[in-house]
Amino acid sequence: MRPGRQLAVLGLIFVVLYLLVFFSGTGNLPFAKRVEPKLGLDLVGGTRVTLTATNPNGTAPQASQLEQARQIIDDRVNGLGVTEAEVVTEGNQNIVVSLAGKNDDRLKDIGEPAELRFRKVLKVTNGAAVTPPTATPTPTASGSAPPSTPPASEPAATDPTTAPPAGSESATPAPTASATPPPSHPELITQVKEKVGDSVYAQAEALTEPVDTSADPAAAQTYEKFGDLTPAEAAALPVPMQFNVPTINCDQLNDRAAGSIREPNQQAVACEGSTKYLLDVAKVQGTDVKDASAVLENGSDWAVSLDFTGSGESKWTALTREAYNNEGSACDASALGDQQHCLVAVVLDNKVISAPQILGVLSKGSQITGSFSQVQARELASKLKYGALPLTFNASEAQTISATLGTEHLKAGLLAAGVGMLLVIIYAFFYYRLLGTVIFLSLILSGLLVFGALIVLGRQIGFTLTLAGIAGLIVSLGVAADSFVIYFERLKDEIRDGRSPRSAVPRAWARARRTIISANAISIMAAVVLYVVSVGTVKGFAFALGLATILDLMVVFLFRHPIMTMFANTRAFLSPKVSGLGRVLQRDTETPATTRNPRAKEA
Amino acid sequence: MSGLATRLYRGEAGIDVVRKRRNLWFLIAGALVVVALSSFLIRGFSLGIEFSGGNQYQLPASAGSLTEVEDAAKTAGAEVVSAQTVGRGDSATYLLRTGEVTQEENTTIKQGLAQRLGIAADQISDSRVSPAWGGQVTRQALLGLLIFLVLVSIYLILRFEWRMAAAAVSSLLLDLVVTAGVYSLVGFEVTPSTVIGFLTILGFALYDVVVVFDKVQENTRGITSGAAQTYPEAANLAVNQTLMRSINTGLVALLPVGGLLFIGAGLLGAGTLEDLGLVLFVGMGAAVYSSIFFATPVLTLLKSREPKYVAHTQRVLARRAQLAKGGAADAKAARAARSEPEPVDATLAGTAAGAAAPKAGARPAPRRAGAPGNRGGNRGGGGRGGRPSGSKRR
Repeated sequence: MRPGRQLAVLGLIFVVLYLLVFFSGTGNLPFAKRVEPKLGLDLVGGTRVTLTATNPNGTAPQASQLEQARQIIDDRVNGLGVTEAEVVTEGNQNIVVSLAGKNDDRLKDIGEPAELRFRKVLKVTNGAAVTPPTATPTPTASGSAPPSTPPASEPAATDPTTAPPAGSESATPAPTASATPPPSHPELITQVKEKVGDSVYAQAEALTEPVDTSADPAAAQTYEKFGDLTPAEAAALPVPMQFNVPTINCDQLNDRAAGSIREPNQQAVACEGSTKYLLDVAKVQGTDVKDASAVLENGSDWAVSLDFTGSGESKWTALTREAYNNEGSACDASALGDQQHCLVAVVLDNKVISAPQILGVLSKGSQITGSFSQVQARELASKLKYGALPLTFNASEAQTISATLGTEHLKAGLLAAGVGMLLVIIYAFFYYRLLGTVIFLSLILSGLLVFGALIVLGRQIGFTLTLAGIAGLIVSLGVAADSFVIYFERLKDEIRDGRSPRSAVPRAWARARRTIISANAISIMAAVVLYVVSVGTVKGFAFALGLATILDLMVVFLFRHPIMTMFANTRAFLSPKVSGLGRVLQRDTETPATTRNPRAKEA
Repeated sequence: MSGLATRLYRGEAGIDVVRKRRNLWFLIAGALVVVALSSFLIRGFSLGIEFSGGNQYQLPASAGSLTEVEDAAKTAGAEVVSAQTVGRGDSATYLLRTGEVTQEENTTIKQGLAQRLGIAADQISDSRVSPAWGGQVTRQALLGLLIFLVLVSIYLILRFEWRMAAAAVSSLLLDLVVTAGVYSLVGFEVTPSTVIGFLTILGFALYDVVVVFDKVQENTRGITSGAAQTYPEAANLAVNQTLMRSINTGLVALLPVGGLLFIGAGLLGAGTLEDLGLVLFVGMGAAVYSSIFFATPVLTLLKSREPKYVAHTQRVLARRAQLAKGGAADAKAARAARSEPEPVDATLAGTAAGAAAPKAGARPAPRRAGAPGNRGGNRGGGGRGGRPSGSKRR
């Protein structure tokens, strides 16, 4: 019999699904754990960070680049000692780091360091925000060359194995001074000129040395308006201007868009704290670093040990030689360390993270020393090691959900699902009487199928159920119930037309099937489109909605129809008390004479 | 009332949706669109922190009073934009929103809060959103909307025909505009979850339209070979027959969403569930309306321009006029009526409003298929076209 066969198919699907649930890919999970779907972190608590990657020109990266970046991020996460975190790509430019069940705010910094550059420091000036018209000079800077004697904590780069070679090796100084980049954003420059006035702009452009506002308080007033520039406008200015205009402060420079000074062939301005550096072209880059680690020096001081790749090592040696000897006196007197050697700044993204004085011509095994704490040393090492990301990242969304809030979410989600289901079932019983049982049973069946599928998919493809996913499932209840309404209303039509239930069921089915398939096809289409293009929690929602709709179609075909066919053979089916359909039939048997006769007469 | 309920239940409400009041529906739809669009321009939307960027902290209400918490946050260096209690009972929490802060500041604030309130730092949930995030979500959503519209149009053209696709898509757009209008007017907060929910309405809005159009298609199949009904009449009948279905599907779909909204708003206070629930609730309500009172009128408007149906409508009306003259049925009268269908039109509208009448005449199209299409034939279709309406004329 056909209905029997369909039910058997459904039974088989169930058995297979639940065999998978209990016995596939379960590892050594205890039995009770095997029936738990994988829950998202908004349900169990945890931390999630969404990083949006962009190319320097602002476009979305290529898939291969994104994957490379994902691996680097993954390494970084593991470097923090957080091994359970998941790092996945999403859409064409997002990387999502999620750690379910635990809070770890350190994850939120994971995307921050973007690009690592080693640049020789050419000049140094004060980059603190200038308060213009006040007569009293700012207290920090004294004289034109601020940190002429570096404080004790000033780091230094040394080669621990060999003593610094004395004497100078003659090498041709690199033609660095000519590397001033052309202004790249003419429209922003125009905007700046409007803000500060053309004459002031020209004056600023003519500066060759940083203006010291403590010596020349009027200058602060002249260039006051530069302090109001947005970071983007400041970034668009020619490098010498960024450096020389005293009112362009470190806050503005630090907030420049990620990647503003990534171009290694151009000079740059960057800050460390409130010290503004004019930096040479980047001769060594993050990709040249092979490894970096925090090491304990002399049993008490923490230092960062650096190791370079083959080609990176020769570049590093050349750079340190140039810095050690101050070839061509490229470094300004203000920019020399206490032992009269140039500093080399380690620049990450827009900031200088460390600017050690070069105490020798270094090869491999260099160390950056200073009075680092263990944490600082580790942080610096990790930034150095993984600073070679090909892309720049912005943390678009960073979320920590406490475990208690997660539990609340889960409770509320389940409660909402329960309430939704209850309402639908009450309505079904109220409107369709006993036929409500069929609705009830198929909702339960759909529920079990969805549940099983969630567990299996969680294990096989890592699908996690989030709060939005639960919402998707709840919404799908409506879809499931809708397909009933269509079917039953059809059935009513057929019965009203005077068909016997036994012939009405297959006829109604044939017609309702068409409608149900077209309507569900649209639901599925919506879910698929959403899933493919969307970002964030939408994906979980769309997936759950699509999954539930497909499973609902299955239940419609393999359960509801055969059950109805069987049901149609029973007598109760037509009783107005038990099946909502009876009412139609009853009215029809009462009234046909009145509705048909007059027309017959007319004719 | 029970009379109407029963008629509704039996699909015989006889409400004239597509003919007499068509312009009324268009007028209402037009007014709704104008109100919604002007609200977009004048009031705009109140956007959540996902669009402006900012931080949000959520901590259990057991930590102290709201003012204490707010003060603690301020002392910790946060610039509190808003502070509110959400949820009830044990699950009540405080929700603080601050301007955008950096990651370090965020950590400081969290630790400061925990210290001052004497709770563990991991009891505090926080989320930080960059202003770009909401934009990214919205951009992707709009892309999704576009792709969906194209796909669904293709699907509907294949499944039905282009006029139905056009009517369905325009009703969908009405639905979206109205929903967005409600958001703008009422000032509900728009979050990425809202945008998601907004997209989900798409599926539902079309679901209803498909149900109605399926019936329209069924009722009008082979309609031109008979002369009993005009296309608009058949479409109107389909709307009436599916009215209960639309109400039912709409209600049944709204029920779980209502549960979502109720629990989301009542228990959790704010967040994904509430946002989704609200937008779905509003959108699906609008969807039920637009599928009945907008999609089908648009369809009949488009259809009545199709030459095939123009001719057919005239033929039907001519025949009806002829029958109305009671036996004085000759070709001349028919032709006269055909050239001036308006007065007959009025009669017809009266008929439709007179309920019950179209019922039997409308249903199984196949049975009618054999009836001679001959417009002069005074016997055609076993009196099917000869309704009681004749007597009501004038």
